[in-house]
Amino acid sequence: MAAAIKELSNVPNSSQETLWRRVERILPTVTKPGRYVGGELNQVIKAWDSVRTHIALVFPDIYDLGQSNLGLMLLYDILNQREDIAAERAYSPWLDMESALRENDIPLYSLENKRALADFDILGISLPYETLYTNFLNILDLAHLPLRSANRDESHPLIIAGGQSVYNPEPVSPFVDAFVVGEGEEAIVDVVNTHQAWKTAGGSKQELLAALAKIPGVYVPSLYQMDFNADGTIAAVTPESPDLALPIVKRINAKLPPPLTRFLVPNVEVVQERVSVEIMRGCTRGCRFCHAGMVNRPIRERPLDEILTALKTGLDQTGYEEVSLLSLSSSDYSQIIPLINGLRELLQERQVNITLPSLRIESFTEDLMDELQSLTPGGGFTLAPEAGTERMRAIINKPISDEAFMDTVRSVFKHGWKTIKLYFMIGHPQETLEDVAAIAELCKAVLYEGRQIAGGRTRVHAGISTFIPKPHTPFQWVGFDSLESIQQKLDILHQGLHGAKVKMTWNDPEASLLESWLSRGDRRLSEVILKAWQNGARFDAWSDQFNMAHWRAAFTEVGLDPDFYSHRARGLDEILPWDHINAGVKKSFLKTDYQWSLQGKTRPDCRGGCYGCGILSAFNELRLVAPDGGWKCP
Amino acid sequence: MSEQEQITRIRLKYAKGPSLRFTGHLDMQRLWERLLRRSGLPIRYSQGFNPRARLNLASALPLGVISESEMLDFWMDVPLPTETVRKHLAENAPPGLDIQEVTSVSRQEIALQEQMSASEYQITFYDPQPQSELEDKVAALLAADQLPRVRRNKTYDLRPLILDLKVTKADDGEIGLWMRLNAEPGATGRPDEVMEELGFTNTQYLACRTGLILKA
Repeated sequence: MAAAIKELSNVPNSSQETLWRRVERILPTVTKPGRYVGGELNQVIKAWDSVRTHIALVFPDIYDLGQSNLGLMLLYDILNQREDIAAERAYSPWLDMESALRENDIPLYSLENKRALADFDILGISLPYETLYTNFLNILDLAHLPLRSANRDESHPLIIAGGQSVYNPEPVSPFVDAFVVGEGEEAIVDVVNTHQAWKTAGGSKQELLAALAKIPGVYVPSLYQMDFNADGTIAAVTPESPDLALPIVKRINAKLPPPLTRFLVPNVEVVQERVSVEIMRGCTRGCRFCHAGMVNRPIRERPLDEILTALKTGLDQTGYEEVSLLSLSSSDYSQIIPLINGLRELLQERQVNITLPSLRIESFTEDLMDELQSLTPGGGFTLAPEAGTERMRAIINKPISDEAFMDTVRSVFKHGWKTIKLYFMIGHPQETLEDVAAIAELCKAVLYEGRQIAGGRTRVHAGISTFIPKPHTPFQWVGFDSLESIQQKLDILHQGLHGAKVKMTWNDPEASLLESWLSRGDRRLSEVILKAWQNGARFDAWSDQFNMAHWRAAFTEVGLDPDFYSHRARGLDEILPWDHINAGVKKSFLKTDYQWSLQGKTRPDCRGGCYGCGILSAFNELRLVAPDGGWKCP
Repeated sequence: MSEQEQITRIRLKYAKGPSLRFTGHLDMQRLWERLLRRSGLPIRYSQGFNPRARLNLASALPLGVISESEMLDFWMDVPLPTETVRKHLAENAPPGLDIQEVTSVSRQEIALQEQMSASEYQITFYDPQPQSELEDKVAALLAADQLPRVRRNKTYDLRPLILDLKVTKADDGEIGLWMRLNAEPGATGRPDEVMEELGFTNTQYLACRTGLILKA
C-alpha cells in the first residue's frame, strides 16, 4: 500500500515526491481530478536524468480541451522519438484547482514526471487562438516564473510559443522569448538542437536568443524594436542588428510529415476522443475573411494510402470508436471518392463512426452525396454559405449563386438528410441590412424546400458568427463592425426568423470584439493583456467566464483606445503590426484582392491558374524538393 | 454447435493503480470498451446503430480509491484459451491497470452486481496516526447502535453496513485501518463515509479496495 502511493513518484527525488504528495492531497477537493494526473495510454515517461533536454508542451486551456489537440500531440510524438529529449505536458488548471494550487503554494507541474514547470529547459506554449493569452500568463504565474521575457535569465526555462494566433505575435511578444511562426514539426527540433548546443557551451540568455533568431521561421521579439508615430500607428520595426531577418518568413514543411498514429487515450472524458488524420493542409479557395486559408498555403495533400493506413493503425492503438478527417475543405481533396470508399470498408470492419467536416458547396457532386449518405446515415449536413446574397458572397470571394446553393440543398434533402446546418457571418465589409435580412430569407427557403422533399421533420439550424478582420487576409485593413450595428443585425435575424422554426445560435458580439483587439493588436496591447489578467481575466474563450469589464478597465488603466485596434479602418500604406511576419502571401497580393472586393470582383480557385500570391516565390527551393503532386499549386 | 452456444462469458480480476484513481465508474466502462477493442479479441457487441462491447463491472469503485481486486465480465463470440485472452488484454492495458486472472464462467450465472456481498478496504494515512487514539475512535464507532447519515437526500443507517473495522499495523510499523463493508445491491457502504464518521476527510488518507466478496 505505501508502495502504491509511491508508484507515481518513480524517481526518489525528494522535491518531486514532496510536490506530488502535496498535489495528491488537494486532488480529492477539486472537480474532475482525473484532469491533473496524466497516466494515459501512449504517454511517454522518461527517467528525468536520462535525457539532455526537458521540454514541457503547454496548452493554456483545460485538459478536457487541450488533451485532444492534434498539433500538440504531434509535437509530443516527434520530440519523444528522440532519445535525448523528454517532452511532457501541462494544461490550465480549472478555477478550483488554481485556487488549491495557490493556497498550498504548489507550482504547476507536468503530467508525466510531475515536475514543476520551472524545472524544464523549454516551455512550448500552444497558442492556436487569441483568447488563450490571459491563460498563458496565468500558467507562467502558476509556474512561479517572471511573466516578462526581460525578467527571465538562463536559470529560467526558455519560453517559446507557436500556433495560428502567432502570425501576429506582437500582443504577447514581451512575455515570449521566441516564436515559431508557421509549421512547427521541423522548427521545434531546430529549437531544441540550438538549445542543446547553447547549453553545452554554457552561454548567456542573450546568446541563446541570438542563436534562435537564426533559425528560419523563428522570431525573437526582443531583438526587434517597434517605434510609433504620434497618431499611434507604427513608424518602424527595426532589428537590433542588420543580420537579423526582416521580414521573418513563416516555416513550412516541403512534404507533410507522416500522420500521427500514437494518440494519447485519456482516462477521463474529454471533448474529442477519436483518431484524427489531417488529409490536406491549406486551401485554394481564397475566401477573403479566412485567416486559415491564407496563412496555411500552399495546399498539400497526403496520399490516400497513407491516410487509410494511419486511420487503421490509430484505431488499433487506441480502441477509439470514431475517426475524423481534418482539412479546411474536405470535398476539395482530389481523391475524396476513393477515400470515402476506403472509409466505408473501415466502418464495416471495425464498427466505427466517421466525421468529415468542412465540405464545400462548389465541390459537391451527386456521386459524392451518394457516397456520403452511406457513410454517415442519420447525421446532419453542414453548409457554409457565409452570406445571404450573391452580392455579399462575391465581396467575400465565396461566389455561389442562389440557384446553385438551392440545388445543393435540394440534393441534400433528396439523399435523405433531414437536418441542415447553415453557417453565416455578419459584419462583413460593405454589408447592408438587406444582405443581413437575406440570411433569414435563405434559411426559410431552405426549410421550405426541406419540407417539400423530406417532410415535416426537416430541421434547419443557422449558426451566426461575427466577421473579424484578421491579419494576413485581404480584409486586414477593414474595421470591425460596431457593437450597435452587430446588435441591430442580430435583431433583424431574430425578427426575420421569428416563428419560422429555424433554430438560430450566435456568438456574443463582445467576445468577437475581444478577439478583434487581440488579433489586430501591436506590442503596446501586451500591457492591456497583462492588466486584464491582473484584473481577473482568464478562460476568455469560455462564455461563462469571459468578463468584458476586466478588459475595458485594462484599456483605461493602460491609456489605450480600444477602438483604435478594432473599429478603425487601417490605411493601405500603414505599417501593420504583423507586417514584419511574412505568411508567404505578399501584401501587394492581399491589397489587390481587397481592392477587387470593393469592385465585387472575385478571384477563382487558384488550382485553375496561379495568381502569384507569393507562396511559390517564397518557397521556390522547397517546392523543388517536394515529391510529385504533393503541392497542388498549378 | 449453434452460434448461440459458442458465446463465451469471461470473468476478469484486475487491479486499478494510483494513476487510474480518479477515473470514475463510467469512464472505466469506456476505458474497458477501448481496451477490448484494442485487444483484437472476438468481443460480442450490442446490436444497433452504435455497437458497444457488452461488459459488466462487478461494483463501482468510489472516485479516488485504488484497488487490488476488481472484477468484470465480458462476452466473446468464439471461445479462446483463457491464457490467450489474458495475454491479449495485458498487452493492451493502459498504465495502472493490471490483469490478474482470467476465467471462463457459465452464461447462466446472474449478473456480477447481483452476486456482490461485501467489499474490503485498507486505509493508509498520509500523516502518521497515534495507534491508541485511532483504536479508541474505532471502538466508539463500533459501539454505536445507529449511525444515521444522509446520502442523496435519503436518511440511512451506516452502522449495519460496517461488517468489520480494525486498526492495522504494517511490518514497517505504519498504522492504518481495515474494514469490511456490506456491498449488496441497494445496501452498499462506502469507505469515505466510515472515515468521515471517524473524523477524517478524504485529503488525509488513501483507500485501497483489497477484496470483493461474492455471495456463495
